[in-house]
Amino acid sequence: MVDSLFPSIETTVDDASPESRRKRRRISETAKETAESSEINQESLKRWRTNRVQQIYASKLVEALRRVRQRSNDGGKITSAAREIRDTADRVLAASARGTTRWSRAVLATRVRASLKKHKKAKLTGARKPRKDTAAERKRSKLPAVERKLKILGRLVPGCRKVTVPNLLDEATDYIAALEMQVRAMESLAELLAAAAPRSMLTRP
Amino acid sequence: MDLTGAFGARSAAVGACREPPGLESLHLGGGDGGFTALLELPPTQAVELLHFTDPSPSSSQAAVAGIGLDVSPPPPPLHAYGALTFPSNAALMERAARFSVMANEQQNGNVSGETTTTSSVPSNSDRVKTEPGETDSSQRLENNRCGIGKRKELDKKVKGSTKKKSKSSEENEKLPYVHVRARRGQATDSHSLAERARREKINARMKLLQELVPGCDKIQGTALVLDEIINHVQSLQRQVEMLSMRLAAVNPRIDFNLDTLLASENCSLIDGSFNGTAMQLAWPHQVTETEQSFHHRQLQLQQPPQPQQWPYDGLNQPAWGREDDQGHGNEHNSLMAVSENLMVGSASLHPNQVKMEL
Repeated sequence: MVDSLFPSIETTVDDASPESRRKRRRISETAKETAESSEINQESLKRWRTNRVQQIYASKLVEALRRVRQRSNDGGKITSAAREIRDTADRVLAASARGTTRWSRAVLATRVRASLKKHKKAKLTGARKPRKDTAAERKRSKLPAVERKLKILGRLVPGCRKVTVPNLLDEATDYIAALEMQVRAMESLAELLAAAAPRSMLTRP
Repeated sequence: MDLTGAFGARSAAVGACREPPGLESLHLGGGDGGFTALLELPPTQAVELLHFTDPSPSSSQAAVAGIGLDVSPPPPPLHAYGALTFPSNAALMERAARFSVMANEQQNGNVSGETTTTSSVPSNSDRVKTEPGETDSSQRLENNRCGIGKRKELDKKVKGSTKKKSKSSEENEKLPYVHVRARRGQATDSHSLAERARREKINARMKLLQELVPGCDKIQGTALVLDEIINHVQSLQRQVEMLSMRLAAVNPRIDFNLDTLLASENCSLIDGSFNGTAMQLAWPHQVTETEQSFHHRQLQLQQPPQPQQWPYDGLNQPAWGREDDQGHGNEHNSLMAVSENLMVGSASLHPNQVKMEL
């Protein structure tokens, strides 16, 4: 059954095929050079595009969402539920990474410490003195522009603040691939549910 | 040269490890110029000398074996071969010959295996410092990958050949130390080589990121590419938030029966689109109230492009599982099979059929 899905869902890998072709060319080029690192990256990129991973994620996501729904039943606000859903989705995404990447481990770890950290961070941000943006400061801080951007990137990718540059780039690659898969999954799920919901509401009475 | 031929034979016999600790000691001796260092050298040097005169590999091996780890000055073996007369002269000539020997050796990449066996010589860790002043000709040392001990610096070798191959960061993940080969015409300073290796690593990863992020191919410059990457990550995260909000909005409305809806959706899609195809289901139409919605759902499902046709096969299983008590158990397999067909179905087919049914 699953096998019959694979040839069909190759269309889902449509956007990936030109990239994979490019990747294959790149693999031959970089084979002479950084064979190991590129291999690892290629693997990680392809990992998030396989049908199997997508199926696993989709099914897990649905299960998790069902559980979330049961927990916060008709809670009034959408935003809190949205945050929960997003956290659940992130957790499921990290779980399907199987702990090989740093960000996935960080996401799974912050589940426990999330509430504590929120309180702490609120205190810290309030107490910090805002720096006056002098010209000297700007000049000083703008010099390593690339480094600043790398720091920003490190802040974006969960759990990668104090990580070396090449590792950070690796993590970012995997994270972007995973996020893309997550977006695709959630979008199709939302489409399905949105299609289902209004009709049922209409025809109910 | 018979010399190198002999070396080749010997190394082949011993099981050529390309580890030249003999070279280390050589450089140590060569750099300092101390005779003590020379004398410390294993008698392999003497043997090399011997090979000038005696090209037979067997005799050389015997000589080596006989000499063993004897650090005594070379006169006895030399005498045995009658090549040299006095120890001092022999040492000098040895040294002179050694360099040329080594040069030849390196040229052909043959390293005698005995150098490893007889490496009682304290092979210090700072091996293979390229000392261009040592020999007049450019030395071509070998880039070996044996990770022996802890090397503090990178192994830098200048390749005088016209090949511009540069191997960098090989076995990066396994070994903590990188073996780098400098390109022709580039600085062989350890720092610059280390930097170059690091830069190449980073550039390789940046290239991958560029391919991943759309629209980064045209951009030149690391900073701008990083900008794009950051924007992309931020946009993806925002999209996830939007979608989660949508899902949260949709969710409470389907409180009552998410499962049946999903099930009915899939079934309806199957029904509507595959009237002409194999699977004709006897759908009990328990959810008749949503019959009209089926077609609409079909439409909605056709709109998203192909890449978004999600393999929600995993969906079906739990959905069907819960519906078993509703008496759909017998249709379990057939429904799942049909859902496959649904996924398989071409997009072009669906709209036509949907139009027909509407």
